[in-house]
Amino acid sequence: MKHKNWNIVKRIGITLFILILCIFPLVDTNSYHHIILNQTLVNVVVVLGLNFITGLTGQMNLGTAGIMAFGAYSSALVSTKLGFPVLVGLLVAIVIGYLLGRVLGFPSLRLKGVYLSLTTIGFSEITRLIITNWTTLTGGTMGLQNIPSISLFGYVLDSSTKVYYFYLFIVIVLCFTASRIIKSKWGRVFKAIRDNIDAVEASGIDVAKTKILAFTLATILGCLGGAMYAHMMNYVNPTTFTQDLSANFLAMMMLGGIGTVPGNIIGSSMVTILPELLRFLENYYWLIFSIIALLFAIFLPNGIVSLFTGDRRLGRFWITKTKKGESSHE
Amino acid sequence: MDLNVIIQLIVSGLALGFVYALVSIEYTIIYNSTGLLNFSHDKFIMIGAYVFAGQFIVSMGVEPWLAVIATILTMFIFGIVVAKGIFNPLRNMTSPIFAVMGTVFLGRILTELARLIWGATPFTVPGFLKGTFQIGEIVVTRVSLIIIVASILILAALQFLLKKTKIGKAMRCVQQNKTAAALMGINVSTNINLTIAISAIICAAIGIMVIPLFTIDLTIASMIGLKGFAAGVIGGFGYLPGAIVGGISIGILENLSTLIIPTLYKDCIAYGLLIIILLIRPSGLLGHKR
Repeated sequence: MKHKNWNIVKRIGITLFILILCIFPLVDTNSYHHIILNQTLVNVVVVLGLNFITGLTGQMNLGTAGIMAFGAYSSALVSTKLGFPVLVGLLVAIVIGYLLGRVLGFPSLRLKGVYLSLTTIGFSEITRLIITNWTTLTGGTMGLQNIPSISLFGYVLDSSTKVYYFYLFIVIVLCFTASRIIKSKWGRVFKAIRDNIDAVEASGIDVAKTKILAFTLATILGCLGGAMYAHMMNYVNPTTFTQDLSANFLAMMMLGGIGTVPGNIIGSSMVTILPELLRFLENYYWLIFSIIALLFAIFLPNGIVSLFTGDRRLGRFWITKTKKGESSHE
Repeated sequence: MDLNVIIQLIVSGLALGFVYALVSIEYTIIYNSTGLLNFSHDKFIMIGAYVFAGQFIVSMGVEPWLAVIATILTMFIFGIVVAKGIFNPLRNMTSPIFAVMGTVFLGRILTELARLIWGATPFTVPGFLKGTFQIGEIVVTRVSLIIIVASILILAALQFLLKKTKIGKAMRCVQQNKTAAALMGINVSTNINLTIAISAIICAAIGIMVIPLFTIDLTIASMIGLKGFAAGVIGGFGYLPGAIVGGISIGILENLSTLIIPTLYKDCIAYGLLIIILLIRPSGLLGHKR
């Protein structure tokens, strides 16, 4: 009975939250705030993807910036150079994301170990080098300008408020899809791979295929996020897509709470909005922010969400890995 | 094709190859003893370069040889502090993801500290290890020669440490089996602290040696750091001789590739090789199975 009540409370809470998000731009008409909100929504999309491979499956993806850049540039190029409608561009970005997931996932996830981190870092760097140097196609360091805004069947989303509602719709759909996936068979296998890979193998599940699936979800959402970013800003530039950006997405995923959709939303909002609130720290902002993130990694690795769910047992640093029989002298 | 050009490219590639080899050794010893990939290792190199050039040479005006010793001591202490404060706690976490994130953010903190202490403007050390000399038709820069000699010395010293001394033997025990090592009376945590400090010293050496090759800025080591990762995989992950072979082959191939492809894209060679190796020979060039 209690469980049922809790479900109703949760549903009312979610509905209220969505309502507040819908009304917010009408109350606060500052268009700069709307741009930040749009940025947050884009980040939520990317982090939802990253959550599948890094949060749930436990494989480190450090190339989110490169994946996002691929999505942003492919959609932008399709709509500027080839002149297709933006929605086609978004679809192309999704297809590219799917291909990326397969092409990068296959060599690095067949093997056990840390190879995914290394390939994704390398991939991200190559992507940045190419978009910086292939001036005729990508505009080099000048970036791609005049990327068209999204138009829905003739209705152009030319102001940040209109974009906000469209993106909010996409994010809500994706959040529900993601939380369904997490609760489905796929999600359970992902978590099982993170927690005990040998047990998964013993149950007759193809670990490599599942990992590639998780990574493909991540690249699809990453590319979609990139494309959304490009059409929101109407301008992309290679200096956006650096290693720092990849680290930022990790921070978003971790600060909010690894492996949960609410955690991803909290984390993305925090990391995107906090810089605006911490403007007064100026020079020291990144330093303080990184220190906070490091402390989170050590003391609250499951993020802010774990404060509410009580799932804090994982990874307190004074609990040693007694499972592996390692003795500690501290 | 002129043979001299090829030899010239191989010689300068060899020097960079040794740098990559050292980078990949520096993170491999940490990986072997803690199971953590140090994603902030390029920041360690950057800090090494800044401590040497920014602090000792430019601000304090110390003689270069004295500055080298001072930098190595500083980095040793830095290594111990980082190991005690960050790596040992992270090593004990239940999931390696948190540890990786920890090292990523450690890297960010180090970059920010360097920016706040020494400023973000790139600078150089004028006249440091500059100059060239000729062997027959081939021009060798002084810094290439110093890199090659110093790297061989560092590798020999490391080999001596690991094979002949008690500390080194203990390190290898810890790499193989921490429980057994602890039962034999080896203090695992102290040993790991020491390994990380040695890694930090190697980072400092790399940082000092690459100063003449690049300008000193916050991203001085990003490229060599990433290529060092690739070198480790290409030679055979977690295996020291593999790291050397991988590093040198990347250095030489990368330089030779400029004969065929535009110089701008030569940085892609390392990652291309990385993916090819993962596809056809995941155990690396030397085929060492861990």
